[in-house]
Amino acid sequence: MAASFDRSDAPVPGPIRGFDFPPVAGSRMANGLDLRIVRAARFPIVTAMLILDAGEWAVDPTQAGLAVLAGDALEGGTARHSAAELAEALEGLGAGLGVTTGWDATSVTVSCLAERLGEALALMAEVVLEPTFPAEEFDRVRDQRLAAIQQRAMDPSTVAGDYAARFIHADGVPFGRPVAGKEETIGPLSGDDARSWLGKRYCPGGAGLVVVGDVDGGEIDTLVEGCFGAWSGTVEPSDSAAVTPRHERRRVEIVHRPGAVQSEIRMGHIGVSKATPDYFSLLVYNTILGGSFTSRLNLNLREKHGFTYGVRSQFRFRRHAGPFGISTAVETAVTADAVREAMSEVETLGKDGPSADEVDAARDYIVGIFPLRLETTSQLASRVGELIIYGLPGDYHATYRDRLRAVTREETAEAGRKHVRPEDMSIVVVGDADEIRAPLEALELGPVEVHEVG
Amino acid sequence: MAVLSIPVERHELDNGLRVSLSVDKTIPVVAVNLWYSVGSRNEVEGRTGFAHLFEHMMFQGSEHVAKNRHFELVERAGGSLNASTWFDRTNYFETVPSHHLELALWLESDRMGWMLPAMTQEKLDNQRDVVMNERRQRYDNQPYGDWDEYLQAMVFPDTHPYHHTVIGSMEDIAAATLEDIGEFFETFYIPNNAVLTVCGDFDPERALQLVERYFGEIPRGEDPPPLPGDPTLEPLIGRTVREVVEAEVPLPRVYMAARVPPYTDEGFYAAEVAASVLGTGRASRLYGSLVRDRRIAKDVVTHAFPLTTGSSMIMLWATGLPSVTPEELETALDEELQGLVTVSEDEVARAVALTETQLVRGVEQVGDRADMLSMFDRYFDDPARLNSEVDRLRAVSPGDLKLFTEGFLGTDNRAVLTYVPKGAA
Repeated sequence: MAASFDRSDAPVPGPIRGFDFPPVAGSRMANGLDLRIVRAARFPIVTAMLILDAGEWAVDPTQAGLAVLAGDALEGGTARHSAAELAEALEGLGAGLGVTTGWDATSVTVSCLAERLGEALALMAEVVLEPTFPAEEFDRVRDQRLAAIQQRAMDPSTVAGDYAARFIHADGVPFGRPVAGKEETIGPLSGDDARSWLGKRYCPGGAGLVVVGDVDGGEIDTLVEGCFGAWSGTVEPSDSAAVTPRHERRRVEIVHRPGAVQSEIRMGHIGVSKATPDYFSLLVYNTILGGSFTSRLNLNLREKHGFTYGVRSQFRFRRHAGPFGISTAVETAVTADAVREAMSEVETLGKDGPSADEVDAARDYIVGIFPLRLETTSQLASRVGELIIYGLPGDYHATYRDRLRAVTREETAEAGRKHVRPEDMSIVVVGDADEIRAPLEALELGPVEVHEVG
Repeated sequence: MAVLSIPVERHELDNGLRVSLSVDKTIPVVAVNLWYSVGSRNEVEGRTGFAHLFEHMMFQGSEHVAKNRHFELVERAGGSLNASTWFDRTNYFETVPSHHLELALWLESDRMGWMLPAMTQEKLDNQRDVVMNERRQRYDNQPYGDWDEYLQAMVFPDTHPYHHTVIGSMEDIAAATLEDIGEFFETFYIPNNAVLTVCGDFDPERALQLVERYFGEIPRGEDPPPLPGDPTLEPLIGRTVREVVEAEVPLPRVYMAARVPPYTDEGFYAAEVAASVLGTGRASRLYGSLVRDRRIAKDVVTHAFPLTTGSSMIMLWATGLPSVTPEELETALDEELQGLVTVSEDEVARAVALTETQLVRGVEQVGDRADMLSMFDRYFDDPARLNSEVDRLRAVSPGDLKLFTEGFLGTDNRAVLTYVPKGAA
């Protein structure tokens, strides 16, 4: 069909409307709690996120999973309310209470209509400050976690992630274990262990509360004082262990799943912490390698070869150096081809560096997409929460896009060469070893070892 | 005061394209969302999965947009984009910084009007491989991954368009040809079979001019043909249908499903509230009973599908803890279903409060909001109906739930699908 005008060129963009990260009102309460309030009145809704310096990193290895389990078990009840009563009270407000525990922090989040914030915040404070961990409830939540661990063992994607973490890190590095722990470390835990963990880590000194939504700052101060004013204590800094690799040289680890129709592939090594000076350069580098749809990896493995539904690469920026990794799932028959192509993309990008146009495109993408991910109260709360978890300066988000725009091609290439190292990668493949072992060996990437699931 | 008061302005182009404009200037972003009235229900025998494969082909370029260029341009603009295929519709959407609105309209209109000249066998072969890998990843290599294949076939007869899944069979995906692509495009990808929503930071007058410029000259097509098979069906299954699957799953799981009134029917609101009373949140009946009190389930889930053709479906599942038998799970689920004849005002109020919060959170982003507006436009010819949705949920009473339970949740309208770990049966 003929068009009535020339449609060949993409339209010229209109005038740019500026975007500023919304103002964050910060204050510190007498007990140390770091309070941050953002007014966002798009809808009559509010998100409150309490961030506790209670990440799994700080847990003793013999109790691995304690931070996660203690977070789960908060729903078990308080001296004033049983588990069922708490759930009814919160949900009667239309508010779910979500607890998320990662390596660096535990976050307790509640979202509800703004007019119900006072009641929701009081319940949140009760759950966090006065949990009783009744044995019946604690054991139930622990059994659910144990069942979840059993389930993980049969999900190929999760198995691949867990094995990759194990093969990348030396024994004793927390990141080498699953964040929610293992059967043998969770099994013996009790309510006493949770109480003791909370005593050490659920303290206002080291914690922060972010409130985002259709709210009035002055009222929030009063409300928070009423809910959290009597809370006391400070978190002792935990030891800073080194993040070290398991192996000195590249290896291929096959986790055998007989008859698997796909292979789950993970390729990675130890990366960098959130504090790395190369942070912004690495965002750009990773976008080019595997962090966008039009990344080199995705255009090759998916759009050129049809090996996979998708492939991505990612740095896990944490307080300590989290891993860098590539992940994908491919049809069994093309497993070695996919690994070869992925390795070749990593090597080529490292050797030649990205083109000027690629750097421009990647930078434009991350700069442009920044406001798109700040539309909701919970997205804003998570972003502001980062300031607390990683100790970032208050103007971090205000200058975020300028710092990205300042990244040069040379810096990108240099950061990539330094922090993405094909020769150091552990390559983990969860798939049918009988089908994929020989082709993987033929790639001569390093020693190939086959493991049984377990 | 109403929780939602989203403004909507409606237009229709001469070629039949319906257009909704919803302005929100709080953040300089804008969403463009297109709903085509075509989904897996339109697929003919031997071509299951085709609507979804076609959706993939829509990203392979059009006459004036080379392969990969669509993604490159949107990403470079700082936008996000995707599409999804469902039983009754296929949607395409992008959210971009607001000064790139015209880019999104150009891209969407080019593939609505000028897709076919860009199609090649090579692209089709590539995307067939991609989709087959999507199927392997989501269905075949995933514990319980094929549950909907079983459940849909149990709830809907083989003459009904919901009998097969959106992903389709490997055999049918492999059989798709370029001729199929051409025919499907000409049949369904026409302006009078689509609605377009623009939501976010823009000037409505200017936006309408742009929509007219880019979409206006795409010719109206013939009305799409009636659905294949027989979309009418009895309101109830008529009995309890059972299936037991022994599979590589870690824990036993019991799924139950029932036919319920279609999403576009007033009777659906009771189904939605029932699903919430049963399974949303920790104060819900299934969580309270199976997970907290009796400690037989690891998790419970309920969902009322928003389907429009003949009947919709309510689905729930419970995953058993290791020592629990599927029979125990099924008995417990059955008791809770039957028990819904007696529901307190408080329980209904909680369910509605949770749904209300979810609804508001579900429209915070302009992309999600545009999609909801397109849906209400498509199904009700009234996008602004979104604003009063909470009122209709609030109107559901314990008495309505009693009637719904008696009418639809009995053993004469039930599919029971049980997964048993291999070797444990």
